Amino acid sequence: MSKNTLDKLFGSRTRVKLLRFLFRNYPTGFNAPELSRRIQEPTEETKKELEFLSALGLVQKSK
Amino acid sequence: MKRKTQKHKTPSKVIRMDKTVYYLNPEFEFFGELKGLILKSSPTEKDKMVKKILGLGRVKLAVTSGIFMTGNNGLDFFDTVADLFIVGDDISKNRLRTFLTALEAEVGKEIKFTLMDKDEFQYRYGMFDRFIRVLLEGPHEKIINKLGI
Repeated sequence: MSKNTLDKLFGSRTRVKLLRFLFRNYPTGFNAPELSRRIQEPTEETKKELEFLSALGLVQKSK
Repeated sequence: MKRKTQKHKTPSKVIRMDKTVYYLNPEFEFFGELKGLILKSSPTEKDKMVKKILGLGRVKLAVTSGIFMTGNNGLDFFDTVADLFIVGDDISKNRLRTFLTALEAEVGKEIKFTLMDKDEFQYRYGMFDRFIRVLLEGPHEKIINKLGI
């Protein structure tokens, strides 16, 4: 399966990159700027997807 | 590592104060299924990767292994000596750095990378060097092969 298929299915390339990064590095947690840097996507977009994923319950936040 | 210039800049003050840490919730209903799906998909498109590697210089051979093997679910099943091995001459160090940074961002993990010039590779290949033998005898794919090996 190509990478593109998932981007389309999930509706966001950033979302897929985030999930891939978090699964590969599970169970380590990261802050938004670090995640943005590691997946090479803009911070705003990364934060938006993180909020989406936490509202869904797939991602948890801790201070 | 150089930071990518970002279109929508958040004031840096906010970023520095942002200590929220995000991590996956293992209690999520489809955690296991999603993990399988995400990690089973090839981390990067091969054709695109070949094109980029060819643009780095006079590349003779490129071998992918480890993290790039289909079915490797990211648990390091194959304890590989290199995820990506490139043989070539006049490789642009700048382009190589940019390429690797982008690749690591797509894959979501650090890549074990080895570069060799053609002479060194042929010498090592001829003397059954351990690194070369382990790489080429294990699960791998030659995505560029101009050496006929």
